Amino acid sequence: MKPAPFVYTPAPSVAGALELLADEDATALAGGQSLVPLLNFRLARPGVLVDLNPLTALDHLHVTGGALRIGALTRQATLQRSATVAEGWPLLTEAVSHVGHAAIRNRGTVGGSVAHADPAAELPVALTALDARFHLRSGAGERTLSASELFQGPMTTALETGELLVEIEVPPVGPGARMAFLEHARTHGDFAVAGAAVVLVPGERAAIALLGAAVTPVRAHAAERALLGGAAAAEAARLAGADVGDDHRRALITTLTRRALERVLA
Amino acid sequence: MTTRLVGAPLTRREDARVLRGETRYVDDIVIPGAAQAAFVRSPHASAAIQSIAVPEPSEADGLLAVITGRELAGLRSFPVMEPRGAHVAAGEAHPVLPVDEVRYAGQPVAAVIARTRALAEDAAELVEVEYEARPAVLSPRASDLTLMRWSQRTGDVDAAFAAAAHVVTGRYALPRLVAAPMEARGAIARYDADADGLTVWCSAQDIHRSRAQLSHILGRDEGTIHLIVPDVGGAFGSKGVVAPEVAAIAAAAIRLGVPVRWTEDRLENLVGAYQGRGIEGDVALALAADGRMLALRARLWADLGGYLLTTTPIPPHTAATLITGVYDIPAADVEVTGARTHKVPTGPYRGAGRPDAAYMIERLVDRAARELDLDRIELRRRNLIRRFPHRTPTGLEYDSGDYERCLDLALELAGPDQPSRPLGADVARGTGFAMYVERAGGGFESARIQLRPGGRFLIDSSSSPHGQGHDITFAQIAAERLQTAPGAIELRFGDSASAPGGVGTFGSRSVAQAGSAVARAADAMVGEGARLAAHLLGLEAGAVRLTPAGFLGDGAALSWAEIADSAAAPDGHPPGGAPGPLQASARFESANVFSSGVHAAEVDIDPETGQLSVRRLVAVDDAGTLINPLLAHGQVIGGVVQALGECLVEEAVYDDDGQMRSGSFLDYSLLTAAEIPPIITGEVETPTPLNPLGAKGAGEGGAVGALPAVANAVTDALGGRHVEPPYTADKLWRALHGADDRPAVPEERR
Repeated sequence: MKPAPFVYTPAPSVAGALELLADEDATALAGGQSLVPLLNFRLARPGVLVDLNPLTALDHLHVTGGALRIGALTRQATLQRSATVAEGWPLLTEAVSHVGHAAIRNRGTVGGSVAHADPAAELPVALTALDARFHLRSGAGERTLSASELFQGPMTTALETGELLVEIEVPPVGPGARMAFLEHARTHGDFAVAGAAVVLVPGERAAIALLGAAVTPVRAHAAERALLGGAAAAEAARLAGADVGDDHRRALITTLTRRALERVLA
Repeated sequence: MTTRLVGAPLTRREDARVLRGETRYVDDIVIPGAAQAAFVRSPHASAAIQSIAVPEPSEADGLLAVITGRELAGLRSFPVMEPRGAHVAAGEAHPVLPVDEVRYAGQPVAAVIARTRALAEDAAELVEVEYEARPAVLSPRASDLTLMRWSQRTGDVDAAFAAAAHVVTGRYALPRLVAAPMEARGAIARYDADADGLTVWCSAQDIHRSRAQLSHILGRDEGTIHLIVPDVGGAFGSKGVVAPEVAAIAAAAIRLGVPVRWTEDRLENLVGAYQGRGIEGDVALALAADGRMLALRARLWADLGGYLLTTTPIPPHTAATLITGVYDIPAADVEVTGARTHKVPTGPYRGAGRPDAAYMIERLVDRAARELDLDRIELRRRNLIRRFPHRTPTGLEYDSGDYERCLDLALELAGPDQPSRPLGADVARGTGFAMYVERAGGGFESARIQLRPGGRFLIDSSSSPHGQGHDITFAQIAAERLQTAPGAIELRFGDSASAPGGVGTFGSRSVAQAGSAVARAADAMVGEGARLAAHLLGLEAGAVRLTPAGFLGDGAALSWAEIADSAAAPDGHPPGGAPGPLQASARFESANVFSSGVHAAEVDIDPETGQLSVRRLVAVDDAGTLINPLLAHGQVIGGVVQALGECLVEEAVYDDDGQMRSGSFLDYSLLTAAEIPPIITGEVETPTPLNPLGAKGAGEGGAVGALPAVANAVTDALGGRHVEPPYTADKLWRALHGADDRPAVPEERR
């Protein structure tokens, strides 16, 4: 379990990192909690490893214009401990507590979790429920994608060669918002088998994002509409799970969604 | 006045060192100039090797050599143990490296020796092996090659079944498990050509078996092998046989004349280290109308893997011989077939056949209670063995025990039986009990003790620890007999240059065998001390007695420090006595001793998700006289936690091609502290008559009893429906819901 040979390059600046990452054979290293095992298994064999850790400009967490701005290099532990996040976006606080164990969250980054796009990861699902916007930068400029545009498949995003996720913007959810994140995993800290993230502003907004229902985070639009139309938690949850093929997985999605909704409706 | 140390809950003396990270595992030992090994492994479960093309040292950075099975043609395959009465296919022993075929995915095919491990892995990618894949046999029942068979028939089993008022049958299976020690395997081999001496530092359970295996494989006398076992980060049975890789690097060190190190990584450990369990069986019980057990039939199939390693035949034999459990069953017909499959070999893993037997018999007894409409505890009471020694129909002799006392204590600790809730409720709750016997001890160990200046003692034990706490336990045994403080006793282990002869650390035997040897050696030292004290005091040898103040006789006292001074003096010994420090040694040997216990579990299943929560566990264990109750308690807790892992999540999963699909901890799940329920323990101490301590064994009981207790509780919660471990949410949900998603109607609970 030693990686195949590679050239290690600390990123000199964001612009310098983008230049280095324009090489097809280069891979960005953030917290390393997923990439380093892949390197050690020799499943990932980049010729050049661009270490983003020196880029303190990407390590920030603040509120601007009511929106939460999470620098891509923000550690998961920082997100978990933030009083601002707990106050305005408690869904993220709850979701991130399920990511691995403390040592993993100390090193792992929010941007890394998003860019890695593991279908069993918690943060992409929570960010999907919160209508997050993902700011990408490359030598050609910047673009901003929604979750459904960014997450394309298992471990697959719309990020192109030479493009870097620099910031995640989470819009304000409004007063009176209630949120809940529930998941089913084999053991504490393990990747989730199924999960549900819900955000509810009574009469205004209902968001339900599902983990394990598809190969990417998905929104349960029919369930959201039903909920806004006055449906009970059980009915909305049934709609959320309706398209899941495997019957146990469907039961998990339906149950977790219903329990999350019951919590926010209580 | 005497000092009582047996029974004192003293902490381990190595703990501070372990917690500070000051331990020295094999990989921490620096050997200047040592090369490192990586292995080319088979990607196929079953294949013919058609050719192997290896790079020349000049073709890869830092490469020293690539060694294949052809270069090692002079080596023997692994020695294989033959359990009493068993037929073993010794010709199917594991080779160090194969020549013409591979029998499991992950089998080492070539050793690549380079300056560093990373360079060795790079060079390993240049080795080209041409295989012709063959179909893989994965089920032991489907195998046409038997590696081991044992059977025994006692009493008129057919007549008992024919006449029985009830016959209850069950089909059970336990998956394969990995041992997952925190420190994976590894070794360093260094050869001194001038002295023709091989030194091997090995992460192993003991020096004796590792050295004997290497001696057999390498075809060199044990006296030319210096075996050192340094600190070891866990084994759980998985380091009782040296890895084929260790034999390969020993051969490489001899051929190349440079020291070679192999530090196994987690991937190698998961796919290449021998696994545990992997057994299935059909078991039938004949009962009289009143629930008395008349006879048992068992047909077991063990999934032994591609080859036999040294101890591969042991667990299935142990499972078969223990299949009658704690019950007085007069007749039995038992057969176990160890089949060749295209997977990594199996071998001992904590419990090593004991949990397998307890799982099958205890689930069957619960099923019998359900079918006979008898209380599950009452059915057990009617059939318990109550007189010892007891000869089982499978040929074992249980030395001692008080099974009913264990049962009563477990019932008391478990509290009133809570009614299980109907399946329509928000939770399905069940309770379960299981009883077990643990074959422990047996065989020989030895100890040598020296009196040192200042009244201190140095004890060389034949047995070495890998987490058990030999050091303080043996110091307690010796100090009590020598009437001194444990701090005056130093233990030395794990080096074949100084250790006296023995067998090893496994099978819950260290206190009973090696501890008894320490006791006997200490007793002999007391005799030596008394002889010298009497001489110095001008008394008959019988006229002095040992107290915490030293030897007393005729109003005078001589401390151990004074005895040590005198022994060092030229005229300190009585006429005819050998000059020099006092020494004594002892060898202790006995038959097996049998620990026992009763475990109880209470579980909840979430009917909507299938998630199992073990709410509480009760573990009552009888390991005979406890030398150190704190460490015995730790053994029970550790064993219970491993059993819980087996119940909840652990399983080595293979796909249809024989590829292990749980080759990392992402897939092979281990429990975390968050999953461990409150564990309530209770002790019963029924001393064995077979050793001077009265001690049996505590190393495996936790892993033996908790598995069937949880299994019976799960079955209770499922209303009698049959599911095998691990009890994943998926399986339990499917058991609770039919294909049509309607909750099934529970059978009436017993």
